[in-house]
Amino acid sequence: MRLNWIWPFAVVVVLALVAWTVIPWGDLGQWASMKQQEFQNAMARALHAIRRGDAQALWLLCAATAAYGVVHAIGPGHGKVLIGGAAFASGATFRRLAALTLVSSLAQSLTAILLIGVLVFGARIGAREAADLTETWLAPLSVAAMGAIGALLVWRGLRSWGRLVTRAKTNHGGHHHHHHHHAHDDHTCGCGHAHGPSVQEVKSLETFRDAAVLVGSIAIRPCTGALFVLVIAARFDAFAAGCLAVLTMGLGTATFNLIVAGGGGMARRLALLGQGADTDGVMRLSALFHMIGGGLILSFSLLALLI
Amino acid sequence: MMRRLGSLLLPLLLLQGPALAHPHIFVDAKAGFRFNDAGQVAGFRISWTYDAFTTLFLFDVLDLDRDGDGALDDADYAAILRGETEWQEGYVGDIYFEVNDTVKPHLVPVDAEALYRDELITIRFDLPLATPVDVAGQDVVLRLYDPNYYYAYTVAEITNATHLPDGCAVDLVPFEPDALTSDLLVALGSLSREEQPEQEGIGRMFSDEVILKCG
Repeated sequence: MRLNWIWPFAVVVVLALVAWTVIPWGDLGQWASMKQQEFQNAMARALHAIRRGDAQALWLLCAATAAYGVVHAIGPGHGKVLIGGAAFASGATFRRLAALTLVSSLAQSLTAILLIGVLVFGARIGAREAADLTETWLAPLSVAAMGAIGALLVWRGLRSWGRLVTRAKTNHGGHHHHHHHHAHDDHTCGCGHAHGPSVQEVKSLETFRDAAVLVGSIAIRPCTGALFVLVIAARFDAFAAGCLAVLTMGLGTATFNLIVAGGGGMARRLALLGQGADTDGVMRLSALFHMIGGGLILSFSLLALLI
Repeated sequence: MMRRLGSLLLPLLLLQGPALAHPHIFVDAKAGFRFNDAGQVAGFRISWTYDAFTTLFLFDVLDLDRDGDGALDDADYAAILRGETEWQEGYVGDIYFEVNDTVKPHLVPVDAEALYRDELITIRFDLPLATPVDVAGQDVVLRLYDPNYYYAYTVAEITNATHLPDGCAVDLVPFEPDALTSDLLVALGSLSREEQPEQEGIGRMFSDEVILKCG
């Protein structure tokens, strides 16, 4: 009986492993990079047309950048793991996750606009230098920040888990369900003033600070495709068009990341199926999800930094 | 066994690393043989047309079309030719002439010209061999490939700059992916612009073959 909470969770783990092996990642990646190539060329064509003064071309450019954003998000990078892992770990509502995803993608576009706005008009540098700067400094910074978020989530999970275990022990085991009534009276609790975490405490991304860190870690590193569009647009005296196109690129990226966030949230809900609202099981799982989601983010970040 | 291992590791590979996948630059090429009066192969006629994105990248890198009128001037063409045909020591232009599986050395481009058509940059040139090669009865293949597969060449057409000697035929055999090369392409797809594939000379595996048969 005590291990009831573990079954739905086990199902989710098995489903995740099955998906991991069954999904043709390679083909998907190759398809994405092929499409990326296609949309890159469409962007290039549209930029030429804008220079020629073709008014329609702005919409072509925006369509191409939006599509590029979607397939680029499928490809490497772009905080997918962060978004998915955080969604799984945090227990934030989908609406909140969706808002965070959207804001982080648009913030990423704004970083590109700011960077190129300052560098091209201020320092007159080219696309290659801007891309070098991004890959040399901003990309590792972003990955490190994401890794820190992963580590934070793991730590929160461990802390909550520790408190839950301490409480279970001081409750003489077995009587989980009643602790709310007699926890205060029965024990001289050795765990400080709190008797253990509430469900709220085993959640993340609820505070503005959490949200700001998540958005910042993604936004800090603009995508090189966006930089390129902006540099060329500036060359063709169409910087405003470039800005608009880069924002639609951000919307495209957000679209795919929304699916990932939804997937992470759904996996969490599925694993919590059949659990009451505020039981120990929920809290244990939530603590565990923090460790798993955070661990996933952390290991991908380390992988990206080391390889 | 390899494939299973690959499908387990690939998601990891795909999710890490910045930027875009290999290859990054796509070239539509034309290639053909030049013969001398003795009927030997004296060199090649090559044409490279870059994709729209790379063309725009060259605009930025080489600072082309400064006046913004959409047309390239002589200075622009000269800049393109400098970048494309003044090869550094040891660079062979991704062009490999294999006679009985031995690569015959060539010199550097001559009679080069740059074109800008349909908003794509094209470079055309002749490439003489160091010494003309007698090819009668030999296995002769011309390949265009970047060993690191950063550039992906597709030979779209055979150009015959000079008449083929009697008894000679040129045949274009496009690259057909098989199970092995598909897996490799997928693995390469996870490399960013800054990375290099581990396997040396991997680009050859994906190259089109221009096969010459004489006699």
